[in-house]
Amino acid sequence: MLARRYATFTGGIDLPDLKDATLDAPVRPGPVPARLRVPLAPCGGPPAEPVVAAGQRVVAGQRLGAASDDAAVDVYAPATGTVSRLTRVATAGRYGPAHSDAVELVELEHLPELPAEPPTAGWRELAAAQVRERIADGALTTFRRGAEPLSGWIERARAAGCRVLIANVMEHEPYVTADHALLRARGRQVAGGLMLLGRAIGAETVYLAADRRRTDDYHPAEDAARELGIEPVALEHKYPTGADVMLVKILTRCETPPGGSPTDVGAAVVDAATCFATYAQVACGVRPSGRVVTVAGERTSRVGNFFVPFGVGCVDLVGAPGPPVLHGGAMTALRCDEATVTSPASDAVLAPAVETPPHPGPCIRCGWCVAHCPARLNVAALNDAFELADVDRAARLGVRACIACGVCSYICPARLPLTQRMNQLNRAVGRVADG
Amino acid sequence: MADELTAATVMRTRRLPAFEAPFLRAPEGARRVFLVTLGAACAPLLAGVVLFGWRAAVVACICVAACVIIEHVTYRVAHTPALGGRSHAYLTGVLLALTLPAFTPWYVAVIASAFAVIIGKAVFGGVGHFLWQPALVGRFAVAVMFPALLAPGDWPVLAQNRLLVGDVTDARTPMDYRGWQDRSAPEGADAFRLPHPRRALAKLTNRPTDAPPAYSGLAMPRLEMPGAAPAALHAPSPDRLPPMRDLVFGTRPGGIGETCIIVLLVAGGYLVYRDYVRWQLPVAFLASAWCVAAVAPVQLAGPSQTVETVWFPLLVEGLDVGFTYVNYQLLSGATVLAATFLITEMSSRPATVGGQVIFGAAAGALAMGLQLYVTAVPIPAYAAVLAMNTFAPWIERMWRPRVLGRRRLAWLGSLVHPFGERRPKR
Repeated sequence: MLARRYATFTGGIDLPDLKDATLDAPVRPGPVPARLRVPLAPCGGPPAEPVVAAGQRVVAGQRLGAASDDAAVDVYAPATGTVSRLTRVATAGRYGPAHSDAVELVELEHLPELPAEPPTAGWRELAAAQVRERIADGALTTFRRGAEPLSGWIERARAAGCRVLIANVMEHEPYVTADHALLRARGRQVAGGLMLLGRAIGAETVYLAADRRRTDDYHPAEDAARELGIEPVALEHKYPTGADVMLVKILTRCETPPGGSPTDVGAAVVDAATCFATYAQVACGVRPSGRVVTVAGERTSRVGNFFVPFGVGCVDLVGAPGPPVLHGGAMTALRCDEATVTSPASDAVLAPAVETPPHPGPCIRCGWCVAHCPARLNVAALNDAFELADVDRAARLGVRACIACGVCSYICPARLPLTQRMNQLNRAVGRVADG
Repeated sequence: MADELTAATVMRTRRLPAFEAPFLRAPEGARRVFLVTLGAACAPLLAGVVLFGWRAAVVACICVAACVIIEHVTYRVAHTPALGGRSHAYLTGVLLALTLPAFTPWYVAVIASAFAVIIGKAVFGGVGHFLWQPALVGRFAVAVMFPALLAPGDWPVLAQNRLLVGDVTDARTPMDYRGWQDRSAPEGADAFRLPHPRRALAKLTNRPTDAPPAYSGLAMPRLEMPGAAPAALHAPSPDRLPPMRDLVFGTRPGGIGETCIIVLLVAGGYLVYRDYVRWQLPVAFLASAWCVAAVAPVQLAGPSQTVETVWFPLLVEGLDVGFTYVNYQLLSGATVLAATFLITEMSSRPATVGGQVIFGAAAGALAMGLQLYVTAVPIPAYAAVLAMNTFAPWIERMWRPRVLGRRRLAWLGSLVHPFGERRPKR
């Protein structure tokens, strides 16, 4: 799969993989939920206006909410069911749980499965404008933390003049294998969706970046990618290679400016789930109604990769006794409560054996956080700045370049919550910088 | 989570556990770091106990016990929690013992421990905050307070047949001593009383200003005998350097843990393997000391009762003599112990690799400079480490690796305008 050698970055760390339980698991239908709480604002921001009333019977694919502006998307019913009430749920936002209104469906039927419809003829020859139109029709979102409408994402990438599109299938976090399972099961479709997205944003170079250790499983995707003019690349698995900023640095040698996003240097990054949803919508006309979710962890027996409709309660899905249930990979996860539901951003719901958090000690200045920081930040000095509440010094040390990968907290022998502190400093600096 | 960042919220929350991502933790905690370093430091200590007998073990026990007790009492009196438990006190005690000679009286060891714990650590607020390596603070204090006792004069070394069990204070000056190997103890004694190799080296390269040159230094082999050795190797007994083998295996006068170079290198290598020490720091220290010894001018006695100041002692007599001479300068003092265990103390060195290289190189150059030119300083390597420890925070602040996505030297601009970072496009 690899013809070229790619550069790497300073820092980073080899994490325990912890994926063995789900690595070879096929995508299966998830456990049947008793109810769905479909979030009306899967992208955060303003919720869609509900267009159904309590007691109404809706069929799968029927519209539940109408988008109020460009920052929101229409919401469709993932399954047939009866609207019982409007409620509040939490989804995974970029910086923490995002609360939004939701439509609760009960008496469910026709739960969705991983789409396997044949594509319509001529999908490969669609013009860029047609692709964008179909994406806008389908109420597609990006399928990652801090989800946003896919149309808005495409417009942003086009406005920034993105010439490079990267599909990020690194899955660098422990436990998570959702994109891996999807690429194994629907490799050709993912490659097709990636090609369509590349066409939509006008990218000249499209990469499919995968973990070098897993490339044996990706032959269908690889062949299809080559047919479609996509360059498949296999990279070493050092964490956090799968962070967008690091991946862009490796593949384009451009460094994202602190506080910016990869589009600032002309590169856009998507994940396999977004590509697959794009393919299903544009080529097959199937609206997204769920996504592949990895359920794993030592405290749950329901281990595997499941196709889960949007709006399933995370705690019900994992079926584990007691907290914490984690939403997302263990390095960047959010803690779930009863209100947390699956959304496009849910790549994993985990119940790992987590010990109670240790009391942080004093920094012993071992320098491991500095040595392993992929953004080359002097984390120890930034921790001093935090303890002095010195935002100016943090800005000078460049805290806005932090990518919140969690390596510093992971490695810290004094058990300091460094990542959380960097985030706090980052936000404080951002507030001053943006006025 | 409190989002506003003020000194008050920080003070309230800084020692509270945070139940946030990442939910995985590397297994090594601070306590383990100190204990593993302690284990590594026990290797040269054991070598010292073998070489200098049971008195070395007694000194080590006194140092460790005194450090632990004094630290405990200090924290009780000051009503502050013992940060990181007692593991760092054990480590400080062992490191202090490594730097002391085996014949140190008990009260000197106790005073050194008191200085190490109170002035070295407690005054600054404990682990992670101190400016100077605590063990060296203690060693420095007793070097100042007991100059006659601890000056590098004639120090004892156990004889081959009295290793481990011999009493190191029961020493006699041997006649016609050429090397430690294959010599049994002097009659009625356990140990040889030998000149500290530093003194012989100092005589080689320094001349008292009022006295005429007593013997020719490096210049002699060139005239009289070919061979890769400085003249002092062949000098009359009191000024003769021990063979290189004695320096490498540690059978020469010195502190308990200073002498056994082989064990020090193995233990230091283990610390590097465990990632507790970045290899760049000790290598920079040793390489810079070696280079200074190779380059810096020394006074040599010329062939005809003249004194000449020559640069590049590495080259002046040919590479073979020069190489031997430079290695003697590096191995005869405490330089290797300082490079492996003392300069690498986490709290008192810069955290960035670049900073550590600057720090180590400066300390190495300073150590060799002191050893060559300032014979009044009895502990040049330790003094150099302490001096550079003073500048470590400054080096830390000045050495800034380029942050991801910033332009080179962008931090110069940020000194003027801290929030002038390029804004993301929206």
